[in-house]
Amino acid sequence: MSKDGSVGYVTTRLDDFINWGRKHSIWPLPFGTSCCGIEMMASLAADYDMSRFGAEVIRFSPRQSDLLIVAGIINLKMAPVLKTVYDQMSDPKYVMSFGACASSGGIFNVYSVLQGIDTMIPVDVYIPGCPPSPEGVIHGLMRLQELITQGQTHSQRRLAQAKQG
Amino acid sequence: MDIRHPIPTNGGEWVTQFGEIWRGQVADLKKTFDGAIEEVKMPQADATDVPIIYVKRDRLVEVLKFLKETDGFEYGFLADITATDESSELRFEVVYQLFSQSKLCRIRVKVRVPEGVSVPSAVSVWKGADWAEREVYDMYGVQFEGHPNLRRILMDERWVGHPLRKDYPIKGYQIFTDPQAVDPERLK
Repeated sequence: MSKDGSVGYVTTRLDDFINWGRKHSIWPLPFGTSCCGIEMMASLAADYDMSRFGAEVIRFSPRQSDLLIVAGIINLKMAPVLKTVYDQMSDPKYVMSFGACASSGGIFNVYSVLQGIDTMIPVDVYIPGCPPSPEGVIHGLMRLQELITQGQTHSQRRLAQAKQG
Repeated sequence: MDIRHPIPTNGGEWVTQFGEIWRGQVADLKKTFDGAIEEVKMPQADATDVPIIYVKRDRLVEVLKFLKETDGFEYGFLADITATDESSELRFEVVYQLFSQSKLCRIRVKVRVPEGVSVPSAVSVWKGADWAEREVYDMYGVQFEGHPNLRRILMDERWVGHPLRKDYPIKGYQIFTDPQAVDPERLK
């Protein structure tokens, strides 16, 4: 880099460069099934503004998004729907388990509730809280960005394995 | 009557306001349906409660129709149908919550049902009874005779058992990974 700030050239690996791009262009799909969905909206809105971290464009189609934010309780009748939505997303895809209910069933340890979405789909980031505060959500998102940079999310590892094998 | 608070919900006022109406109605009912009314529980003076009328199973629809259509009763609105599992020999109680939009009072009708015995459906009286009865069937397994479409409404159709029964295990998970198939006939 020269003195006036202009960059002549940068050397990097192509994978790193692509991951750097992915990290800053996360398109989330909100899967807000209960009260955590409200807190998710709060972290997306102007006060906390998740778009500062590149998670800007909310998409309501699984075909166009790469981060599945599961915000809220997933009951057993909803579980197959969540699985279908996850399967419809194209690689690389990331999953954020938002709040206690999505992560572990929360207080609802009864016949009708899925005990954590990780029994059904792979989860990259868990955000604790009932509901989590927007700061927690942003922390979770930044943690996800770190994982993407390292290529350590479930989907990226699966792709890397497929490439090697 | 204060139009901003037409239905008092604090203790005792229901009985003060509607006690007279209820006593007349219960006397009328007992006279009209001699033998069909098993038992009547009137609310205590300071309770926020409504009269509970236990009706014989085979004459239920008749009584409900009477409560809906007769002048002086006019319980035109079926607020809810629910049930309880009493774990006794007469196992279930099916509960009908009625509301009168002209008199602004409520009343509760109950039917005792042993296991495996069906209750006459109230769909012929209120169309809204359809989904409520499906819910009771789904949760308790109480059959409704004459119901046009008695199948599960809340749980997956592949579910085994009825989860609100007292003998259903509280953690009786049944996980399905693929969505419930929809009968193509229903999409037409």
